[in-house]
Amino acid sequence: MKYKVIFQPSGRRGEIEEGKTLREAAIELGVGIEQVCGGNKVCGKCKVQIQEGYFAKFDVHSSMNNLSPIGKEELRLLNEEEVKNNYRLACAARVQGDVLVFVPEESRVGGQIVRKAAGEINIELDPAVRKYYVELPPPTLEDPEGDYERLMRALKEQHGLEGLSMDYHALRALPLALREGKWKVTVTVWNDREIIGVEPGYNDRTLGIAFDVGTTTVVGYLTDINTGKVIAIDSMMNPQVSFGEDVMARITYAMEHEDGLQKMHEAIIGGINKIISNLCNKAQVGVEEISEIVLVGNTAMHHIYLNIYPEYLGVSPFTPAVHRSLDIKARDLNIKAAPGANVHVLPIEAGFVGADNMGVVVALEPEKKDDIWLIIDIGTNGEIVLGNKDKLLSTSCATGPAFEGAQITHGMRAAPGAIERVRIDPETKEPRYKVIGKEEWSDEVKSEARGICGSGIIEVVAEMFKAGIIKNSGVFNTKLDTPRIRKGENGQPEYVLAWADETAIGKDITVTQSDVRAVQLAKGALYTGCKILMKRYGIDAVDKVILAGAFGSYIDKEASMVIGMFPDCDLDKVVAVGNAAGDGARIALLNRRKREEANAVARRIKYIELTVDPDFQTEFMQAMYFPHMKDKFPHIQHILDKIPK
Amino acid sequence: MTEDKKQLLEEIRKAVIEFDEDRVKELANKWIELGYDANEAIFEGLAAGMEVVGDLFAKNEYFVPEVLMCADALYAGLDILRPHIKAEDKTETKGVVVIGTVEGDVHDIGKNLVKLMFEVAGFEVHDLGKDVPLEKFVEEQLKTDADLVCLSAMMTTTMPGMKKVIEMLRERNPNVKIMIGGAPVSEKTVEMYGADATGKDAASALEEAIKMVASLREMKRKKEI
Ligand code: B12
Repeated sequence: MKYKVIFQPSGRRGEIEEGKTLREAAIELGVGIEQVCGGNKVCGKCKVQIQEGYFAKFDVHSSMNNLSPIGKEELRLLNEEEVKNNYRLACAARVQGDVLVFVPEESRVGGQIVRKAAGEINIELDPAVRKYYVELPPPTLEDPEGDYERLMRALKEQHGLEGLSMDYHALRALPLALREGKWKVTVTVWNDREIIGVEPGYNDRTLGIAFDVGTTTVVGYLTDINTGKVIAIDSMMNPQVSFGEDVMARITYAMEHEDGLQKMHEAIIGGINKIISNLCNKAQVGVEEISEIVLVGNTAMHHIYLNIYPEYLGVSPFTPAVHRSLDIKARDLNIKAAPGANVHVLPIEAGFVGADNMGVVVALEPEKKDDIWLIIDIGTNGEIVLGNKDKLLSTSCATGPAFEGAQITHGMRAAPGAIERVRIDPETKEPRYKVIGKEEWSDEVKSEARGICGSGIIEVVAEMFKAGIIKNSGVFNTKLDTPRIRKGENGQPEYVLAWADETAIGKDITVTQSDVRAVQLAKGALYTGCKILMKRYGIDAVDKVILAGAFGSYIDKEASMVIGMFPDCDLDKVVAVGNAAGDGARIALLNRRKREEANAVARRIKYIELTVDPDFQTEFMQAMYFPHMKDKFPHIQHILDKIPK
Repeated sequence: MTEDKKQLLEEIRKAVIEFDEDRVKELANKWIELGYDANEAIFEGLAAGMEVVGDLFAKNEYFVPEVLMCADALYAGLDILRPHIKAEDKTETKGVVVIGTVEGDVHDIGKNLVKLMFEVAGFEVHDLGKDVPLEKFVEEQLKTDADLVCLSAMMTTTMPGMKKVIEMLRERNPNVKIMIGGAPVSEKTVEMYGADATGKDAASALEEAIKMVASLREMKRKKEI
C-alpha cells in the first residue's frame, strides 16, 4: 500500500510505500533534511512537524494517526512542547497514511554559506592538455593516405609530436572536422600521448574544471588552462547529504542498501554535472569545450564518485581500493564534458587521508621547506601533516562533527542567523555576539540568532573559559551569581548566550555542559593527533601552524589556542590558508609535473596510525583539558593568567 | 567496626573520588599493615568510591579524564590489596562477563570504563580487547560459561557486526544475556539486533547488568529445582 507524503516548504510530494520512515520518503523525494547520525535516532536534528487536517490543494487528510506511534527515542529527543505541537523525528516516524510534513528551518539542509573562494595561486603552466593547430595537405589520388595517418604526419612535421594514439570518439569526429576546417584543425593532446579531440580551424582556448568534492560542499572552478585564470566558480551542497551527514554514515548507507552506492554515486555525478552546466552558462562556453577535469575529495568521496564499494574504508584496517592517482575518461563516469575529456583524480595517502589532503600538500609544498610545519585541516575528520623537506608524517583523527555544529544543543551550520563571534565580560559574565548576515553585534541590534555555528562554538567555549564560567576540566562553575548560568532541562548546568526574545527561534540559545563535553572530545582528539605526530617526529614545538580548509579561515586563532585545539605556537605563526584542497586541484589542472610529484610525495608521507599508539589514551585524556592538563602554552600565558580563579 | 577502620575506609573512598593515586596507595598499604581484611577495603573503599565516580560521570560533573584518573587510583589500590584477599573470598562473583569492542573497531575507552564498573562491582570480567573477531565472542562465552556478553561499537560501520555476534550467540546458547553499547547504539538498535539491553554510560550499563544477571540466575535456579 502506498500513501501520499508532502513536504513543505519545498512542496515536494509523492506516493510512499507504507512502513517507510519520513526520512526515507524525504530521500526518495529529494528533500534535504538534516540527519547527522544517518537516521539512527541519536542526533535529534531531523525534527519535522506534522500538519493536521484536510489539505484540498493536495487532496490529503493529514493526521498524526497516519504515522507510527511516537517511540521512546523520540520522546527522549523531543521536548514536551514539541511533542504537543506534533513534532516527530523524520528517521523514526513511519508512514501509515497520508501526511503533510513541514520541515522547519533548523532541520532543513541548505542555505549554507559557501566559504570556498578561489585563492591566488602561483604556478608554472605545464598543463596535461594542450592544443595544437595543424595544417594538412589534402589527400589526392596520388596521396590517398588515411585521415589519422595524415594528421600524425603533420603533427610530427609541424610540432615534433610522435607516437600519439587517438581517442575513439575523437577519431569518429576526425573526418568531418578535417573537411569542415578545410584541412586546418586544432587537436587537443593529452599528456603528449593521446589525441582526445579535434576541431575545425584554429581555437586555442583550453578549458578545464577543478573540483573539490567535500563531504558537505562541492565546488567547481572553471579555469582557462592557458592562463591559469579562474573564469567562474560554482558550488552546491553535496547532494549525498540526504544519505548521511558524515563519511561514515555514507559508507554505512552503501553497506546497508544494495543500491546504496549506486544512488550516492549518481547523486554526486548529477551534482558535478549540474555545476559543470552552471559554470558553462556563467562563462558562455559549451560543455564540449571542457577538455579536462581534476577531482579531489576525501577517501570516501573518492570511492563514491568513482563508484567503488567503500565498505573496507569504514572498518579497520581502513584499506582504500587504490592509492595512486587515476586518469579516467569523463564519459566512463557519466561526467559531461568533451567526449574525449579525461578526469584526473589525485592520489590517496592512507585510509582516512584522502586526495583532498594531497591537494593541500600539493598547494603548500611542505616537502620543500626547511621550517617544520604543522598543517591541520579541520573538518569532521581532522587531517594533520607534520614535517619539512627531511620527513613528513600524517595522521587523521576523528574529531567528530562538533565543530560543524552537530552534537551541539543549539549547533547549526554556518548560515545566516548563526552566532559566529562571541565576547564575554569576565566581570559580569554578560555576552555580546555577532551572527552571520548582520554587521552589528548583539548589543547594537536585535540579533535574531538561530543557533551557533562551528567558529561560534569555539569562541563561546574559549570565552566561557576565560571568564571563569567553566573550569579547565570543562566543568561549570555553578557558584557564580548570574541568571545566565542555570540548571537546564536535564538538571545539568548551562549558559544562556541569547535570551529567547533576541532570537529568531523564540527559545533561549544556550551552551550546555554536554556541549562543552563534545567540544572537549573533539579538540582533545585533534590536539592528541598533533602531539603524537610531534612525538614521533622527535620535536616539542613547531615553526608554523597552518590551518587549511574553509573552516580554518573562519575560526579565531587565539580562541582556538586558548581551548587547546593544537599545541602552543607564536600566534603570528598561525596562519589560515583557505581552501587549500581546492587550490591543489587547480594546480594539478595546470601543471602535470605536480601530478607526478603528488604521487611521489603521497608515497613518502608516512601515515601514523593513532589507533595503535600506546600513549593515545593518556595523551587524549590530558588534551581534553583547557588548554591542556600538563602542556604549557607560553604564547598565551598572559591570557591564561587573567582568568578569574 | 572500629572508628579507625571506618575512617580509613572513608578516606580510601575519598581518595578514589579525588583521583589521588598516591594517597590511595598509602592508605591501602596502611590497611594491610593494620591487618584488616583486604576484601573489605576493595568493596567498601575503592569500589564505593568508584560508584560515586560513576554517578558523577553520569551527571556530567566528571568527564572521561577524571574517570580515567580515578580508575588509575583504583587499580593502584587493587594492586596492593589483591594479593591479600583471603582464599574463601575469591570464589564469590556477581556474575561472569565477556566484553569487547567488535571487529573493525578500535574505540575502547568507553568499553574500558564499562569494564571498570563491572570489575568494581565484583563481576568476573573477561576482556577480549578491541577489534575482536566476531566468532571470538562466542568461543569465549562457551569457554567461560559467561552469564553476560557485552559488545561495544563506536562506528556505524562496525555496529552491524554486533547483530552477527548476537545471532551466533543465540544459536549456541539461547540463555545468555547480551548487552550492546557505544555512541551509535540506541534502544532501537537493541530491538533491531535482538539484544537484551543497552546503557548510555558505564553506570547505567552496570545497573542493567545487575538486573539481568539476577534474573538469569533466578531462572537457572528454577530450572535446577
Ligand atoms: C577517541 C576517538 C578515537 C580514538 C580512539 C582511541 C581509543 N583507544 O578508543 C582514535 C584516534 C584511535 C580514533 C580513530 C578513529 N575514529 Co574515532 N573517535 C574518537 C572520539 C573523539 C571519542 C570517543 C570516546 O572515546 N569517547 C569517550 C567514551 C567514554 O565514550 P563512549 O565511547 O561513547 O562510551 C560510553 C558509552 O557509549 C557507553 N558504552 C560504550 N561501550 C559500551 C558497551 C556496552 C555493552 C554498554 C552497555 C555501554 C557502552 O558507556 C561508555 C562510558 O560512559 C569520537 C568522537 C566523539 N566526539 O565521540 C570519534 C568517533 C567515534 N570516531 C570516528 C571515526 C570515523 C574514527 C576513524 C574511522 C577515523 C579516523 N580519523 O581515523 C578511526 C577508526 C579507528 C578504528 N579502527 O576504530 C567517528 C565514528 C563516526 C561514525 N558515524 O561511525 C566518531 C564518532 C567521530 C566522527 N563523527 O567522525 N577515534
